Amino acid sequence: MREEKKTPILSSSSKRRLFILSFKIVFSTWTYIIFAGATTVTFWIVANIFDQLLFFYPIVIFYLPDDALVGFVLVNITAIILGIVVSMNIYVFRHSKMKINIASFFSGSSLSVISSTCASCSSLGFFLISTLGAAGITASSFVSNYQNPLRLLSIALLIWTYYSISNRITKSCIMNSSNSSK
Amino acid sequence: MLIRLWFRKDLAKLFIISIALLTLISIVNSHYYIINTSAQKSNEQINNLSLHNLIKNGSPILGNMSAPITIIDFSDFQCYLCNRYVKNTEPLINQTYVQTGKVALIFKHLPNRGFDSMGAALAAQCMNDQEKFWQFHKLLYSNQKPIDSGWVSKENLKKFALQIPGLDIQQFDSCFDSEKYKSFVQKDIGLALSSGFKETPSFIIENSDGSNPEFLAGALPFPSFQAVIEKKISGS
Repeated sequence: MREEKKTPILSSSSKRRLFILSFKIVFSTWTYIIFAGATTVTFWIVANIFDQLLFFYPIVIFYLPDDALVGFVLVNITAIILGIVVSMNIYVFRHSKMKINIASFFSGSSLSVISSTCASCSSLGFFLISTLGAAGITASSFVSNYQNPLRLLSIALLIWTYYSISNRITKSCIMNSSNSSK
Repeated sequence: MLIRLWFRKDLAKLFIISIALLTLISIVNSHYYIINTSAQKSNEQINNLSLHNLIKNGSPILGNMSAPITIIDFSDFQCYLCNRYVKNTEPLINQTYVQTGKVALIFKHLPNRGFDSMGAALAAQCMNDQEKFWQFHKLLYSNQKPIDSGWVSKENLKKFALQIPGLDIQQFDSCFDSEKYKSFVQKDIGLALSSGFKETPSFIIENSDGSNPEFLAGALPFPSFQAVIEKKISGS
């Protein structure tokens, strides 16, 4: 028996164009730009408070010592992608005709928020220690020692989330166009 | 159906409110923490924290014993944020206020970052017996490695001690092996906890008699310390 060769529906360049298209669709509206901006700024503030780069007491001050430079760059990247991903998720929920899957919201954006925040939570070690004792010390030292790899992991997770949301947005376009052509 | 509609319509509002709340909680929490810890301090504690008492009890001091202002630093040798403070902020405090006789710097142990932290604190306190604490302090922070990676194991601490010029190594070994300062370090931990400190580095900036304390938590930059110290100098 001859096997039928499966051809991909979309080439990689078309896929790339669709990812850009999904971005353009969402951010053609001011509301989503504002959502993305608000998320980015909020995450940036919270992450930099945890990282002890931003202080509100006794004076409001931001400072960037040499040892924090790599972490700061990673936090900025995370904050920007997080803003985009959260905004796109909201777009999907508001416009998609598909059944709203609350589980996917919590496993998508929310998981990214938690993982990204956790990557910058080494300064919360005291909380882990006081709550979990010896296990807390181990957890705290793990998060401190692998702070930057964890941040890279959270960026990878966010990129994966962006990929899956883009797919959801553009897939609905493809289905619509194929339906209309019939 | 209703939940779905609510979810779609009010998601935006809910999202904005959540973001605003999260930011507000972060800011208020940091302020409240400082205010709350200040309020917890009793008169007895104030007397205990006078510069005279701190020196008498054997805490390591840097600077003039008659300095009008005291900074008490609660740190852990394994804590990377303490290292950030030691590298970036402490030299400026030393140059601007300690060398000019305005501030005395006191070190207190808060070894809570890892299992090896207690050993490092005990070794450092033994160094203070021979007035080598600050040399050892500098040596440990400049060689800091990941938490509990073995860099401050008993053996390595003894190797670090060998690098301190003029140290009586037998006296140090005897002090370190017998854990002479274990109860001293535990008292430091108790003091930190009673002051509301759980993270390192944390600081108390006060007048030399222990009055008018200001509590700071975190590896703050020099301008933050400067603001508090200048306020105290102009007030006294």
